[in-house]
Amino acid sequence: MQLEIRGLTKRFGTFTANDHIDLTIEPGEIHCLLGENGAGKSTLMNMLYGLLEPDEGEVLLDGKPATFATPGDAIEAGIGMVHQHFMLVPVFTVAENIMLGREQTRGLGVLNRASAATLVRDLSDTYKLAVDPDALVQDLPVGVQQRVEILKALANNAEVLILDEPTAVLTPQEIDELMSIMDSLRKDGTSIVFITHKLREVKAIGDKITVIRRGKVVGTTEPTASESELAEMMVGRGVKLVVDKDDADVGEVALDVKNLTVIGARGTTVVRDVSFDVRAGEILGIAGVQGNGQTELVKALLGLVRPASGRIQLEGRNISRHSPRQSLEEGIGYIPEDRSHDGNVGSFSVRENLVLDLYKHDEYSRGLALNLRAMSANAEQRIDEFDIRTQSMNSSVSALSGGNQQKVVVARELSRSLKVLIASQPTRGVDVGSIEFIHKRIVAERDKGTAVIIVSTELDEIFALSDRIAVMYDGRIVDIVSPNILRDEIGLLMAGGGGTAKKNA
Amino acid sequence: MKKTAQVVALTSVLALSLAACGDRPKENAGAGGSSPSDEAASSSAAPSPTASNPDFKACMVSDSGGFDDKSFNQTSHDGLVNAVKKLGLKTGEVESQSDSEYADNIAALLREDCNAIVTVGFLLGDATEAAAKKNPDVDFAIVDYGYAKPPKNLRGLSFNTAEPSFMAGYLAAGMTKSGVVGTFGGAKIPTVTIFMDGFWEGVQYWNKQKDDSVQVVGWDEKSQSGSFTDDFEDKIAGQDTADNLMSQGADIIFPVAGPAGLGALESAQATNGEVNAIWVDTDGCLSAAEYCDAIISSVMKGMDVAVEKAISDSVGDKFTSDPYVGTLDNGGVQLAPFHEFDGDVPQELKDELDTIKQDLVDGKIKITSPSAP
Amino acid sequence: MRERPLRLPASWLPSVKVTMASMVLALLVGALLILVSDRQVIESFRYFFSYPWDAFRHSGEAIGESYKALVSGSVGSWSAITATLERAAPLICAGLAVTLAFRAGLFNIGAQGQLIVGAVCAGYVGFHYELPPVVHVLAALLAALVGGALWGGIIGVLKARTGAHEVITTIMLNYVAAALLTYLLTKESFQQPGSNNPRSEKVDAAATFPSILGVHSGIVLAVLAAVGVWWLLERSTVGFELRAVGANADASRTAGMSVANVYTLAMVVAGLLAGLAGAQQVLGHQDSLTASFGGSIGFDAITVALLGRATPLGTVLAGLLFGALSTGGLAMQAGAASTPLALTQVLQALIVLFVAAPALVKAVFRFRESDGGGAVMAKGWNS
Repeated sequence: MQLEIRGLTKRFGTFTANDHIDLTIEPGEIHCLLGENGAGKSTLMNMLYGLLEPDEGEVLLDGKPATFATPGDAIEAGIGMVHQHFMLVPVFTVAENIMLGREQTRGLGVLNRASAATLVRDLSDTYKLAVDPDALVQDLPVGVQQRVEILKALANNAEVLILDEPTAVLTPQEIDELMSIMDSLRKDGTSIVFITHKLREVKAIGDKITVIRRGKVVGTTEPTASESELAEMMVGRGVKLVVDKDDADVGEVALDVKNLTVIGARGTTVVRDVSFDVRAGEILGIAGVQGNGQTELVKALLGLVRPASGRIQLEGRNISRHSPRQSLEEGIGYIPEDRSHDGNVGSFSVRENLVLDLYKHDEYSRGLALNLRAMSANAEQRIDEFDIRTQSMNSSVSALSGGNQQKVVVARELSRSLKVLIASQPTRGVDVGSIEFIHKRIVAERDKGTAVIIVSTELDEIFALSDRIAVMYDGRIVDIVSPNILRDEIGLLMAGGGGTAKKNA
Repeated sequence: MKKTAQVVALTSVLALSLAACGDRPKENAGAGGSSPSDEAASSSAAPSPTASNPDFKACMVSDSGGFDDKSFNQTSHDGLVNAVKKLGLKTGEVESQSDSEYADNIAALLREDCNAIVTVGFLLGDATEAAAKKNPDVDFAIVDYGYAKPPKNLRGLSFNTAEPSFMAGYLAAGMTKSGVVGTFGGAKIPTVTIFMDGFWEGVQYWNKQKDDSVQVVGWDEKSQSGSFTDDFEDKIAGQDTADNLMSQGADIIFPVAGPAGLGALESAQATNGEVNAIWVDTDGCLSAAEYCDAIISSVMKGMDVAVEKAISDSVGDKFTSDPYVGTLDNGGVQLAPFHEFDGDVPQELKDELDTIKQDLVDGKIKITSPSAP
Repeated sequence: MRERPLRLPASWLPSVKVTMASMVLALLVGALLILVSDRQVIESFRYFFSYPWDAFRHSGEAIGESYKALVSGSVGSWSAITATLERAAPLICAGLAVTLAFRAGLFNIGAQGQLIVGAVCAGYVGFHYELPPVVHVLAALLAALVGGALWGGIIGVLKARTGAHEVITTIMLNYVAAALLTYLLTKESFQQPGSNNPRSEKVDAAATFPSILGVHSGIVLAVLAAVGVWWLLERSTVGFELRAVGANADASRTAGMSVANVYTLAMVVAGLLAGLAGAQQVLGHQDSLTASFGGSIGFDAITVALLGRATPLGTVLAGLLFGALSTGGLAMQAGAASTPLALTQVLQALIVLFVAAPALVKAVFRFRESDGGGAVMAKGWNS
């Protein structure tokens, strides 16, 4: 099916989110929609899927005009969508989730689970999705859950599949698997709209690339375009994809972790006997596939989780029993991996979030009274310094794009003098322009003599920033290596050394 | 949107044309535009009042339970309705929902320029007294409350219900087959326990006279302890409590719990004559007629008479603060007729009850209840 | 980027619009109910086609009289206004107790229990001790605040230490408080001497709120409390923590706040405010404790807080509205219209219903989608 978009426009008040967008997606084509966060990609797709009503323009399916008042209409017309946030019922099985809304019954309203299971198995085999129809969705890893979403769309006979930032939540392995699934779908004639801001992925799988900036199509190009060309189209200026940094000027050991063990919420050991140290003025990267204990490790470092055993020493003092507040006061900066969950209070203003862990300092309060003037002055300064794009300091943080939300967190954590900075996934879901900026700031912090720990599942990021790389697998640090190591070698370490123990397969 | 509107319009036209067959009734002369309640409204169709005092406003505040409780508030309200019927008055009435509202409710009626205000229930005692002191031009009467030194415009209306309850106890002891009779109250307050005390004493009197050993479950005057629903409105609680008494062998139940007591009637009726009840406040065969076949008799508390008297005194400028105490002697309290049980109660027992009544009036039998007025 | 001194939420105008529209809608539905419950109107509709004018006249009269009574009975005279203010005062205080807890992400169903315990403490100090005038009322007031705060604090501690859901614990403690009151009222030390009625001794005159122009000064305390809560929430570090935890407990914990302490503190302050409402009842509105002296204030408070969108100013306005509705409702019942009491309660319920379902109101009045926020209570359960 050919999908053509002509002059599609959507305005929110005075703000034009989509301005006369033209786009043609041919059958069996993977069409990448590239743009920064807030460029208008999701708005466009929500109009296509019947979630938003366009103010102008039209959608043509095989040359015939079509309007979608509801997602139901869009599904009917053969459009499927996999959202960033999955729409699955966790306590249902895969088959049940796929039946949802179009339950097949055998007389008397008895659900026909068997036929749903068969359908899942068939589709799963055809596209090599490897999904067990009887598994509970809540037990599945994120990557498989995403495949269930894809199955749901396929079960509805989708001919055009919209994938909204599908790789944001995936591990490198899962991304590879997704790519091969997309490839087999393409071979079968399904068109795919692939929304992303990751240049590497676009080049790897795309047939055609359309770049959107500030609600307008800035151009359509081929995947042969270079990454820097693409980045320039996206951001509207030249972007440095490699971080400029000098060799580390390493000082004393700032943070020393010895035999740290953490028991997780479900009673399993998630961090096993981990030891490492970070010195002032260096960046230690912690690489690893998501879910190998990094999350719990950094939480233990801040004091959000009590370690079961081991010692954490900050400049020689034991801080393993400290509360988060004590750790923060001692000079640890903390950028959590999930900014909207742990980093910001979404309904709070930018001004308030910028002092979320500083409000008790004399600078911002006297006794019980907050010093609003000081908070505003701080906000004005940080917004300017970190180029946070917001209507005003009083806008709520949830109204900002992901990159700007992350800049709020980074700005806050870097606005006091630190001994150690712990940054977990500092650029996850952040656009290219902001990534460049955040990386620059982290390196600058290192150069001020702060010890920095970066946890990332993105190898690009690890290589770009780290002075040393620790690789985590199954709760252990399997090795600490130099950044001159080959990409393949580190991939092997991340998979448990031999590359055989592939997770969740 | 438009379609719905059309459908609505069409249906309403249809409904109206179906309903529009009626004829316009003649305008009621002097209806005064006020139809305070069902009773009063129906009274406007009845023969016109014997007197007319269109400028006099008689008002009433209920206790929680409302004017349709088939018991305490309703009987008091009947007094107001009767006064309106006879004297042609304007009315104003407010139902209380909780203890916190009494003062507000009285104040609201004062703003409506009431000439006389009757409050129902001892809980309103303080609020009524305060209002009476502040508004010497308005006459106040309160059901179930007596003041030691009331202001001139406040009359307490209290009732020695222990007397007819004594008769009810004697009657129950005479009628029981199982030898166990039961009673329970809505709350452990004097205006309730006075019934239970009288009932208990009546049974003891039977035992003494007849050398019998009829038992009372649910109340003991000596220890002042027994069964309570702690709620005057919860019919289910009344039913549960009655069932409990029945499981202890009681075959005659004396519920002193207002509408909650209706649950006991329900339970009794369900036994098809095995268990019966004696109702309180009103003649149960009239106020709760659907249960008449399970009601042997009722202890009537003539609140209607007392209220009507207070209002008519106020209308006729004869109002005094002398307290009113309803007794068997002045007819303010009495035992109701037996209705459907008239044939079942032995003549001998009826005669004995007459004697007891006389003895109570004459003071030959002394009530020992601590709650008696 | 300049500082605006008194910042209202950007969405305040639309939500006021929706609230107003809800009230209009409720009054319209109420008018319909007045018609249906009026005998004369029903009668006249029976012969609608022979004398249609009658039906319109009677309808007009019924609605007119009822709503006239509603207005004149609530704000029509000084005595009506004082009655409205006296009704509103405890509703505002208890409403603030719900609002404050709500901002910390806690759904405080327990204002009723906190109010009862506060009032019992105030009452006991009020009638049991003899103290000089000003000292006595302050001591009784303090007792109410401490009692309410303790009762609320129990919930906070349970939540903070064991994670027990506050909705359940508050409901349970409401029962405990009510039963405690009933029990105490059977004790001689509480009852009036020479009486075994379940009614406490009268509070010493020195312990009652002084009157100002016929209104007991409780309403002043209520307004001060609202200002205090506003300051606490919007201008203090404590409020900053409270709102942060209410909006995102995880981020607050990560930023170094102690969520457990915040929960405890929020419930202590909420209980204190509800205790103040209890003091209003026993030291101002009436002068002794009875089994249901609190009425349903603690529960109406939830509605007041909801209607006020969990802001102090909104709570004050909603409390005043509810006070006016209930005194006006009395006038509707007592006056010429004799509107049933149930109708005022239906009116209150309808207003809240429409406020809670903004989509419905917007559909009826064809407001734009961006107007007004969603129902503020929507997230109460997720804490």
